[in-house]
Amino acid sequence: MPIQIEIFSSQACSRCVRTIDLISELILEFPPGQFEWRKVDVVEELDYAVDLGVMSMPSVAIGGELVFTGHPSGSELRDALQAQLLAADE
Amino acid sequence: MSRGAGNSYRIGQVSEMVGISADTLRYYEKIELLQNVNRSDSGIRLYSDKDISRLRFIQRAQKMQFRLKEIAALLSMREDPQQARAEVRLRTQTKLDEIEGSLRDLKRLHHELQLLLNLCKGSEDGCPIIEGIDRDV
Repeated sequence: MPIQIEIFSSQACSRCVRTIDLISELILEFPPGQFEWRKVDVVEELDYAVDLGVMSMPSVAIGGELVFTGHPSGSELRDALQAQLLAADE
Repeated sequence: MSRGAGNSYRIGQVSEMVGISADTLRYYEKIELLQNVNRSDSGIRLYSDKDISRLRFIQRAQKMQFRLKEIAALLSMREDPQQARAEVRLRTQTKLDEIEGSLRDLKRLHHELQLLLNLCKGSEDGCPIIEGIDRDV
């Protein structure tokens, strides 16, 4: 089952596009089917965003946990995805 | 007006200090929420710092929607926690649980409003706060 990456965004968040682009490109470095991503509109899913502790846009959750607040660098994101894969193997 | 090691205050002063009317202060004494309020030789009520502290406690408890009867039980616990009856202890525990529930709700509401405000700050057109509120109406 693929690990979910969720990018918390809103219509007015111009910086979020950069994060979405980064994630959609970066997961291509991994074998297909290991990750899938979705954009979460915080206004539409406010309760869920609050549950995870989201405070600002963009934020990124991996495997149902908030991992980044703000735009992550490519290497930070790659490390986080690899860590998730290792944890899933254990 | 000074009395012993502590301070003492007349009813008008207390009313001004804590924002409770003189009539209500007299009523609290009548129903024994305030006990043993000192009197001067001429019979004027003289409230101590401890009385003020009790009044502030009553105010806080009222803000939490506690009834006066419940507050009276909490005050007896506050006065002498070691000697409090089992029933009073249980009631205090129940109230503590209620407060913790309210704190959780408040914390969540705080988080939600902070998130919406942050969204608003980052928004060039329109404010998602309005959309978020509309969603629940």
